[in-house]
Amino acid sequence: MKETKLGDFEETLLLLVGILDKEAYAFKIAEEFESQTQRAVSIGAVHSTLNRLSEKGFLTSEMGEATAERGGRRKRIYSITAHGERVLKESRDFKLSLWNQYPAFATGKLNFIFE
Amino acid sequence: MNNSSPSKFLLKFFRWFCDPNLVEGIEGDLMERFELRAAKIGHRAAQRKFAKDVFQLIRPGIIKSFTGNQKLNLLGMLQHNLLISFRSFLRYKSSFFINLIGLSSGLACAIFIYLWVQDERSTDRFHEKNDQLVQVMLHHEESGTLNTQEDTQGILAAALEEDVPEIITAIQATPSFWFGKMPLTNEENVAIKASGKFVDYRYFELFSFPLIQGDASSVLKAQENIVISESLALSLFGTTDNIIGKTLDWQLLHFNMPVQVSGVFKDVPKNSTEEFDFVLSFEIFRGIVGDGLHWGNYNALTYALVEKNTDLELLNEKLAPFVKNKVEWSNVIPFVRPYADRHLYGKYENGVQSGGRIEYVKLFTIISIFIVLIACINFMNLSTAKASRKTKEVGVKKAIGAGKGTLIFQYLQESLLLTFISALFALGLVALLLPQFNQLTSKAIELSFDAQLLKGLLIIILLTGLVAGSYPAFYLSGFKPAEVLKSRIKTSLGELWVRKGLVVFQFSLSVILIVSVLVISEQINYVQNKNLGYNKVNLVLFASEGKIASDLSGFVDQVNNIPGVIQASCTGHDIIKGGNYTTDLNWEGKNPEVETRFANMGVDYGFIETLGVDIIEGRSFSSELVSDSSKIIFNEKAIEVMGIEDPVGKKVKLWGRDVQIIGIAKDFHFESLHEPVTPLFFLLERGLLRNILVRIEGGQERGALERLEDKYKEFNPELTFDYAFLDQSYAQQYAAEEKVSSLAKYFSGLTIIISCLGLFGLAVFTTETRSKEIGIRKVLGASSLSIIKLVSNDFNKIVGLAIIISLPLSYFLISEWLKGFAYTIELKTWYFIGSGLLALLVAWLTIGLQTFKAAFSNPVQRLRSE
Repeated sequence: MKETKLGDFEETLLLLVGILDKEAYAFKIAEEFESQTQRAVSIGAVHSTLNRLSEKGFLTSEMGEATAERGGRRKRIYSITAHGERVLKESRDFKLSLWNQYPAFATGKLNFIFE
Repeated sequence: MNNSSPSKFLLKFFRWFCDPNLVEGIEGDLMERFELRAAKIGHRAAQRKFAKDVFQLIRPGIIKSFTGNQKLNLLGMLQHNLLISFRSFLRYKSSFFINLIGLSSGLACAIFIYLWVQDERSTDRFHEKNDQLVQVMLHHEESGTLNTQEDTQGILAAALEEDVPEIITAIQATPSFWFGKMPLTNEENVAIKASGKFVDYRYFELFSFPLIQGDASSVLKAQENIVISESLALSLFGTTDNIIGKTLDWQLLHFNMPVQVSGVFKDVPKNSTEEFDFVLSFEIFRGIVGDGLHWGNYNALTYALVEKNTDLELLNEKLAPFVKNKVEWSNVIPFVRPYADRHLYGKYENGVQSGGRIEYVKLFTIISIFIVLIACINFMNLSTAKASRKTKEVGVKKAIGAGKGTLIFQYLQESLLLTFISALFALGLVALLLPQFNQLTSKAIELSFDAQLLKGLLIIILLTGLVAGSYPAFYLSGFKPAEVLKSRIKTSLGELWVRKGLVVFQFSLSVILIVSVLVISEQINYVQNKNLGYNKVNLVLFASEGKIASDLSGFVDQVNNIPGVIQASCTGHDIIKGGNYTTDLNWEGKNPEVETRFANMGVDYGFIETLGVDIIEGRSFSSELVSDSSKIIFNEKAIEVMGIEDPVGKKVKLWGRDVQIIGIAKDFHFESLHEPVTPLFFLLERGLLRNILVRIEGGQERGALERLEDKYKEFNPELTFDYAFLDQSYAQQYAAEEKVSSLAKYFSGLTIIISCLGLFGLAVFTTETRSKEIGIRKVLGASSLSIIKLVSNDFNKIVGLAIIISLPLSYFLISEWLKGFAYTIELKTWYFIGSGLLALLVAWLTIGLQTFKAAFSNPVQRLRSE
């Protein structure tokens, strides 16, 4: 079995794929990532992560239609699988439950200590 | 935006490394990004970022994978081929084993010879200053030819060092074999005989014989110092610690003196040509020789350290007149050779280097190549002969698109695999037989897997595998798919010729080896049993040492009275190993231009009789005539060279004084049979004779020797009685030839066996393929005899042709070898005919079983099998 743990970057990409929906191909994902996080990312990093997510079964991909802007090259459009959605939800629930157990945050008594 | 497209080269590079499934999507992304960037930040910057993106794409998930569904074709084929090879090994066990046995014994042979050659080549090369170490030798101009000798004047070294700028240091040393074994007595009066030599005090600085104790530059500074080997120290003192300064009593003939241990060196390694247990200062030797150190006396070896990168040829040109410039009358030309060459390049002919042991090294290298080649030929023949079994495979593979290269690769891989398996077996064989091999060659070779051996092994395996696989690979891959699939394969005449030619080649080599082995062993036999001009049986030789040396004639007299002893006498000559010689002999009518060398055999009364040499004219020395000390006896050869008529009674001048010829001795061999008999004279010399020769009555050897030992112990109670039978020492002289002979026997035996294996394989195959034909012939009434004829005819022709080709070749080769001896056997025709017949007989025996099986089998069974 492939590993089913979700890394931070993986989770972000997975979410971006969900957000972009029909436009979820590597270049767009990279653009979106950069605009949302203000961090640069290489196409290579995006691609290999998307590959890894596909291998884990969180994503599927299919080749889209050819467009003129890419010199006729087709896009590989990614979409989240049911399994992927479940893993995303699990991840969110897990973190939420952690947040809820955090007393300062849960009760609104979070203090910042300056020294 | 028209001109803004990313670098084509980078794009190509990307397409090359990228997984083909991903290439389109990623490439599109790259392009889109590039275009966007080019619009935003300009073409150049976009180009740079593009390059960065491409390089960042080189990561595990994106580049082509080596496993999984996108396997590299090469790797897949490799696995597939291995599988096919193993299956075919299992399926055709007989040819697999024939190849395996042939190749592994051939390779074992090659590995043995490789180890032996490496050992030979490493001899004398372990000295740190090897690059600069040279030995100075002399060419003697004698009777119009150059005679090359190691011995040099004892004063040459000092003169060279002073006058020749290229020579940094020159030292003199004696060889250890000049003195035999010399007794050393320790403080507890225990005496041990060991071989030693006299060397210059800088000896240990030039040669790398590491000192365990003592300092290389000072151990021999004082005249009374002695440096001993580790094992000698252990046997004298039981330890190597705290023995510096201990006193030993050293003895040579009647010389003896106390010497102090000043150092201990590690035992001389086996791959050194110089063997010795201790060294003494050359000054002691100088004292013994007295006024004998001059330009006309050759009594030391000279070694030198030359400047780095000295051109030895130029140096030799410069050195040539060196001695003649010192003394006008000299006939010697000094020259240097690299010290490491002394082992392999020891032979000189008329002043020119002409081989030596290197010939044997070359010979065995060639033999090993041939043996491996013969084993390769077996592989070639069997795999091409059995090609019909592979036709379908080749046809199908080609039909579905395999290229010729792929098939060649497959068959080469198969032969390499087989060679590799064989090499493993061969290594096992070598490890198993190494002790016997070491015994045979008197070496101490070890099988240590160092980088050098592995490299050698790898080269041997690769070469063998490629050679063995080459012909089958090209032959099998050349099939036309359409034809082979329709089973229309026909062996062309050319292919048949190649196959037969290879067998002819194998058998030619076998016959040549049989002839060589036969002639070599006959020659050695001849040499061992040749009448030497004296009776060498029952002659015992031992050194005059200890108290015997100081009362030699008394001892000899007493030995003469021992029952079982026929006669005893003594000499200063070694009889077999050679001894002193001189050119300072003048006679009436001598051509002053021509130097002649006379062996000088100083003897006591009765020596000529003890040795059993006939006096053909005049008389021998007689103790009844006191004036015999100024008399001389020549051998026939000497008289012939001098050209004196009626020599008996005439006078000649030896070392400046008149001596009278009283007799002529029949020629006898006192040197190796490699050399013709040379001029020699006997001179009565009493006192300084170091060898005692005793002739014992036949059949009484044991009793006489015991009594001889008792007598020896009477004189030297602390020493052991070491003696040698002359015939045994004589036999040892030809030890090198003996070894070559026995090695050659094994190798030729192996060659024949491997050749026969191949022949056997072919015979099996032929009878199998002609099975139907034989059946039909028998049904139609062919007799068994005619079937035998039919099957064996082919082989007879092949072997016959091999014999015809090989006989003249072997005659030529073996006559070359015999030229190394001055006395040789005649090459009789039966050696050649016999060898040929032997090869034929062996071939018949090999194919016999198959032939008979074919001839006497039931034709019904042959025809029914379909």
